[in-house]
Amino acid sequence: MATDLRELEAMIEAALPGAEVEVSDETGAGDHLRATVRAAQFKGLSRIDQHRLVKAAVKERFDDGAIHALSVKTEPAE
Amino acid sequence: MADPQLKEKVEELIAANPVLLFMKGTPEAPRCGFSMRVVQVLDTIDVEYGAIDVLPALQPLREVTAEISDWQTFPQLYVNGELIGGADLVEEAFESGELAEAMGVEQPAAAQQATVPAQAPPLQIE
Repeated sequence: MATDLRELEAMIEAALPGAEVEVSDETGAGDHLRATVRAAQFKGLSRIDQHRLVKAAVKERFDDGAIHALSVKTEPAE
Repeated sequence: MADPQLKEKVEELIAANPVLLFMKGTPEAPRCGFSMRVVQVLDTIDVEYGAIDVLPALQPLREVTAEISDWQTFPQLYVNGELIGGADLVEEAFESGELAEAMGVEQPAAAQQATVPAQAPPLQIE
């Protein structure tokens, strides 16, 4: 099943307003995705908490099986 | 809600194993590329670890780890009871030296090379 990358970006942006978000498809199969997120909300958080925020934003798509794996790269925005 | 008996069992395992990996498949035969990446890091550090294959009980274990650590994807690496994360965070913590430090072992000298794909040696032209 193809995943809508723009939808995932919108879900992350909705959870982290103002964040720069890019979701790409690593394999072309639609289920192994990479999210790069730069957000001011990450400041002061441990990396694992930064990842928790991103994963929580797209939890629905894990739960319904649309995504099998999501690589996450986070960076606090200045 | 997570099964309370399973949750208790998982908490016991995390407490009893200083380095514990929940993964898809086994260290000898990982069934997922992300799990394999964590196994490679642990093999490079050369540390003893416990490994649990989550595939036989994937959904119940997801529910348990969601409650214990607010994390429901696998792999998950725990060091001294603390969740380090999945493959991305484990590799980051390895490359920065934080992972070896958390385990109380020495950072392997070849740390950088371990996660970078091997490059073909340059051609020698005589």
